[in-house]
Amino acid sequence: MSALAFDRVTFAYAGTEKPVLLDVSLEVPEGAFALLAGATGSGKSTLLRLAKPEVAPVGELSGTVRAHGEDVRSLDAAASARAVGYVFQSPDAQMVCDTVWHEMAFGLENLGVPEPEMRRRVAETATYLGMGPWFRDRVAELSGGRRQVLALASVLAMRPRAILLDEPTSMLDPVTEQAFLALLFRANRELGMTVVLATHAPGPMLDYATCAYVLEGGRAREVALEELRPATLDSLTGITHRQDGSCPTGGKTRHSDEKDVRPVLSLDDVWFRYDRDADWVLRGCDLAVGAGEVRALLGANGCGKSTLLQVVAGVLGPRRGRARNACAGDQALLPQDPRAVLACETVRDELMEWSASSGRYGAAEVDAALERLGLAGCPGRHPYDLSGGQQQLLALEKLLLVRPRLLLLDEPTKGLDRAARAAVAGRVRAAASGGATVLLATHDAAFVSSVADTASLVFDGEVTTTELAAEFLRESWLYSNSRNGS
Amino acid sequence: MAVKRTIAFDACHATVPAALFAGAVALAMLAVHPVCVAVSLAGALLFSLLARGGAATARGLAWQLPLLALVCLLNPLFSASGSTLLFKFGPRSVYLESLAYGATMGGLMVAVVLWFEGAAAVLTQDRLLALAPRRARTLPLLLGMAFQLVPQLLGRSREVRATLSACTAAGARSGVCEALTRTSSMLLTWSLEESIERADSMRARGWESGLPRTSYRPERPRPRDMAALAGIAALLIVTATCAWAVCAQWRFYPRMSGLGPWWACVPCALLALLPAAAELAARLRERGRR
Repeated sequence: MSALAFDRVTFAYAGTEKPVLLDVSLEVPEGAFALLAGATGSGKSTLLRLAKPEVAPVGELSGTVRAHGEDVRSLDAAASARAVGYVFQSPDAQMVCDTVWHEMAFGLENLGVPEPEMRRRVAETATYLGMGPWFRDRVAELSGGRRQVLALASVLAMRPRAILLDEPTSMLDPVTEQAFLALLFRANRELGMTVVLATHAPGPMLDYATCAYVLEGGRAREVALEELRPATLDSLTGITHRQDGSCPTGGKTRHSDEKDVRPVLSLDDVWFRYDRDADWVLRGCDLAVGAGEVRALLGANGCGKSTLLQVVAGVLGPRRGRARNACAGDQALLPQDPRAVLACETVRDELMEWSASSGRYGAAEVDAALERLGLAGCPGRHPYDLSGGQQQLLALEKLLLVRPRLLLLDEPTKGLDRAARAAVAGRVRAAASGGATVLLATHDAAFVSSVADTASLVFDGEVTTTELAAEFLRESWLYSNSRNGS
Repeated sequence: MAVKRTIAFDACHATVPAALFAGAVALAMLAVHPVCVAVSLAGALLFSLLARGGAATARGLAWQLPLLALVCLLNPLFSASGSTLLFKFGPRSVYLESLAYGATMGGLMVAVVLWFEGAAAVLTQDRLLALAPRRARTLPLLLGMAFQLVPQLLGRSREVRATLSACTAAGARSGVCEALTRTSSMLLTWSLEESIERADSMRARGWESGLPRTSYRPERPRPRDMAALAGIAALLIVTATCAWAVCAQWRFYPRMSGLGPWWACVPCALLALLPAAAELAARLRERGRR
């Protein structure tokens, strides 16, 4: 018997004519680790949600979805919880309670599980996932990786026979992603739990998966795992960084730490912490970026990349040391979440917001930007109705319209599929061609390979090494493997 | 520096410190008597030093002591009562009684603040919310979500404003009102959008399943907690009676009088010093076992 079976499923969202899923038939065997691959907007989330009626989208459904042989729509709440668990994408939005123990117990409380049984399940799940040291922590203080482990734990505690995960690692850095996948793999192999994982970047999961399906044009087909494996660490735009030292911006690569180049940005022995009782985030950090250079900052989550960008931007002042920025009056910062930039009701208004205040562009440039974004036909759409990738591109386009001399980007490709990452890379390269200096923080090696002249590794609050990007990636033990590509 | 951890109340059920601190706060707020306020302030200060550490207490006192001094000095300017004239300040007469009343009220305010800070160090939010009665099982959940939302909104508001200030190429900044409207509307849209996924996450884990909810209690009351509660209740009754007696006799105006018997203040001192004594005893006991 299959754990999950979609039998000729066609689905169209309410109010739309065009179905997002077309006659999808697939069966996931019991105990499988199945990947559901496809670009953003291909219908992966819709397909997964149809297997969990509590979160199923509103629309017209034909065909049947069965979990362990039973139509999921006929299951009551308790039976549904035993059959299928669901983990969402955002580590923040899916958290409900304020403490780790309460979050783990939340689902069990809802199902009226008696307290002794609840204590046992919570204790066993926390032990299994190694959560003991942070069991009593507050959710708000957890890192993104731990939050996602907690999301998994709170579902595992309900002991479902199958677990569905919608892009669970897209917001995590590569090291944290591997740690999460290893836990998921253990649950799959040791507990016999069926795993169905929807992703637009299947590369890192291939070593764990037993089968894979691809959704394209609303239809699903089973594919061999090897078909999804990226061959090498490839460039997003087909143009890798030149090995001769020239850069994608056309000029010669400038290595700003060389003494003959006068940097546009420089940090000299910068120390920073958020609170006088807190640990140092930046400890004696030195950095020099030359005019027109595209510098990538790489490093694990929490190593201080975002803080470094904010110090450069002048948003945070160093506690010790000096930060110099020759472009302080002509810069733009793209934060990790584009929603911190999107302020208007329509896409067009969004792009027009800084037109008058900057005096650098008008309606014609906005029309061209809408064309580039593929939104020329729907300028009245609310930015929140766009996909994550489109929101990121819209925010970036908004910043680029004011033609800043310095562009600061914090994880610009986080959570984006390959097409959106390539589009972001294209726009960053275009800005660099126009003479802008770019400083970006990222985990995305393929993106670095496509856009950056130089790369710096940030570790323990300081810049550990700075090299030409191609050289850095070639020599990097952490970033040179294909796991990071997709 | 790491925050000091309290240990005396870690091993008790949360109702024990909740009852003790509620009593200490009530005593500090209601017993307007110089001796009661002095012992309450001393007890609160001692506990703060032990539980929160010298640095955190000193940082608090940096604004609490000027507040005390301000209340003490301002009272004679508003209330020219009393019989012992100290000096004349322009047309106002400053009396000893009026100054003493101001000092008592200032001390009361600082003591209350210190007791709340001490209670917050012991009764973390989750321990406090777990005290909600069984009939109101969704109340801790609602309060917990609200408590999470406030710091999250503040953090995002900082992020939105920092991003805007970092985008200097966008030109001149808008006015304060306009910036406030922009930020609040952004935060509202952001939160509403996220609430859709949170609601899905809740439903996916059986919320609105129609089944009767149970609750996971991280702490269970033990017989020794019951004994401690009974002891605290007895102390609170005796303290309330004695405090009422001494406060009823005491007069600030026209002349400070009616101090009452010294032993009537003993229960107040016991209650005020009990948290610090318990903490100290627990530490000494732990050190002795190493």
